Amino acid sequence: MKYATLGLLAAAGMFAAGCTNLERSRDLANPKVSATTLAQQVCSNCHGLTGVATSPNFPNLAAQSEPYIVAQLGVFKSHDRHDPEGFEYMWGLSRSLTEQQINGLAAYFAAQPPARQEIEGDRARLAAGKAIFESGVAAKGVPACASCHGAQGQGNATEPRLAGQHVDYLVKQLIVFQRTDERSEDTIMKVVAHELTRDNIEDVATYLQAMPGL
Amino acid sequence: MDRTLFSSDRVMAPVLSALLGLTVLLLALWPVGAQAIPAFNRQTGQNCVACHAGGQFPELTPYGRLFKLTGYTIGERTVPISAMAVASLSRVANTSKSDDPGADFQKNNKPIFATASLLLGGKVTDNIGAFAQVTYDPYATQAADGSFHGHTAADNIDIRYADRFIGEQRDLIFGFSANNNPSVSDPWNTAAAWMQYVPVPGPTSSRFIDGNAPYPGFGAGGNIAGLTGYAFWNKTIYAELGGYVTSKGPLRIFSAGVANANNTKLSGVNPYWRLAYNREWGAHSLMVGTSGMVARVYDDPLDTSNPASLHRFTDLAVDAQYQYLLDPHSVTAQLVVTSNRHRLPAALGNQPVAFVDANGNALANTNAANTNHVARAKLTYVYRARYGGSVGLFSLTGTHDTAYLTAGLEPGSLTINPDPESSAPSVRAVDGNRTGNPATNGVTLEAFWTPLQYLRIGAQYTAYGRFNGASKNYDGFGRNASDNNTLFIYTWLAY
Repeated sequence: MKYATLGLLAAAGMFAAGCTNLERSRDLANPKVSATTLAQQVCSNCHGLTGVATSPNFPNLAAQSEPYIVAQLGVFKSHDRHDPEGFEYMWGLSRSLTEQQINGLAAYFAAQPPARQEIEGDRARLAAGKAIFESGVAAKGVPACASCHGAQGQGNATEPRLAGQHVDYLVKQLIVFQRTDERSEDTIMKVVAHELTRDNIEDVATYLQAMPGL
Repeated sequence: MDRTLFSSDRVMAPVLSALLGLTVLLLALWPVGAQAIPAFNRQTGQNCVACHAGGQFPELTPYGRLFKLTGYTIGERTVPISAMAVASLSRVANTSKSDDPGADFQKNNKPIFATASLLLGGKVTDNIGAFAQVTYDPYATQAADGSFHGHTAADNIDIRYADRFIGEQRDLIFGFSANNNPSVSDPWNTAAAWMQYVPVPGPTSSRFIDGNAPYPGFGAGGNIAGLTGYAFWNKTIYAELGGYVTSKGPLRIFSAGVANANNTKLSGVNPYWRLAYNREWGAHSLMVGTSGMVARVYDDPLDTSNPASLHRFTDLAVDAQYQYLLDPHSVTAQLVVTSNRHRLPAALGNQPVAFVDANGNALANTNAANTNHVARAKLTYVYRARYGGSVGLFSLTGTHDTAYLTAGLEPGSLTINPDPESSAPSVRAVDGNRTGNPATNGVTLEAFWTPLQYLRIGAQYTAYGRFNGASKNYDGFGRNASDNNTLFIYTWLAY
């Protein structure tokens, strides 16, 4: 009986080893799995099927700038971005992605309609955030966010879309830029964020999340 | 609550210094830059916190639940082996009210190597994955000379086939699980197989700590062979249905290492079901569900010839779990209420007992069937996946049964004689019962520290309000529920 069991297991193992299901695979080391499949089967678990993340722990990727997603997956894979959210979640997931898969994932999420979040936060905070976004904090030499991220916060080839992003995620990342060197891939943001107060950060993040709906 | 346990420097000082020493040693020996981490981490390359809420095992995050339900197949195939080990010390409040403290509290207040597990887990194909645990118990058997002998046996096993159809219109995950413990396939921590403090001490080091306090569970127990089919629709409705049989023949692998005399023998196919509603919004997630099992278990695993020797269990549970996970905070609230009906084989129920009431009249015969209710609630907070604490409440209530009695008034003397040598059938057992009431309740407090994601150091304190039906003198010889209050300190490594 023991041999029968072992034989059965070995046969099952051999059968299973030959099995792939490319259409619905969650294999992150198989270059044949399409980016769309990976986006649906793996990325969607945290970022949502259309790039709108339920949990504010994870950034919305919907309508994110395509080159920016490519660049971020690149710095996760190379370990050049090492904020906790980066290495805890993304280093491993990105480690075996091919260039083609990375480009495909970026195209998939960039093509999704932008997230429209519920408007949270009081009017004063939204107004203060709007002022920072549009004009910066002149007294401290903080430039307007809009000058790089676009008048609608839509992002461009090098800078990410901010409009519709989760407040919590924006606050967390601004603090990473301001207080650490964990995102050394973006030296400009370290300078920009340097003089922001905690209130400034929360104001502008609240405005950015609400922006698409205002 | 026993205050003397905390106020005694004489006791706590050596305990704390031993723990501190152990921690320093572990940190010093830890290989710098080591990449060897448990199997699932290697497979996805992610940290424990991705799947385990606040890094506390085994509780899963919403993502961890999807990882499990999609058959442990996210990621890439790697070496599928990891290990864990627990060293611990536990101390019960009062060991003096016992006829044989050396036997009743064998490893009390002594640091021990408590348990070790080898875990085989991971992706096999795009649709197949597995989680299998083999556990070593250093104190499995005791020889006549008092020495202990270790034993290794199959622990939780869950082998899955899963697929997922996801698109704009629908998200359907479905699969099958071959497993050996009803509800081990469940992705929520309020399922019977997972609603527990982990780790818990072995019975040799403490018979009263939380691990031995009442837990929701299924009468059929573990190490049986089951196949369940499940579906998770739009991350909203989860349904699972399956059946369990005896692990024998090729299925004996599910109880490998368990002696035939201890290997649960079931009659036929025994159904298990689960239905849950899940909702996730923002950083919150909520599940409300129900589960149950009907099982027929032979009284003697070595004799399955007589259908009249079957125990019949009907277990029903209602459970709910709420999680708030937003870095750096992790909050979990859990609640389970179960109803467990046990009908004994006809030959075992309705038996006369040797004790009498105060007037010398015979007590009622033992019950033919019993129904117990277990309720458990737990609230946990973890900060930065590093510092955590929890409060757990437990309560068991159930039908009175004279079968539970280990002490009582004897027909001639109408007294309870504390000397077991001269007073059979009364025995002064530390987990005895003088009331026939199984009611037990209390609270467990835990604080833990996770300095590295592979290492957890914690302390649990379990305090009993009632034990085996009474708060005072539950055993008939003066032992109180609070005498069983227990402190448990542990170091847990997973590698």
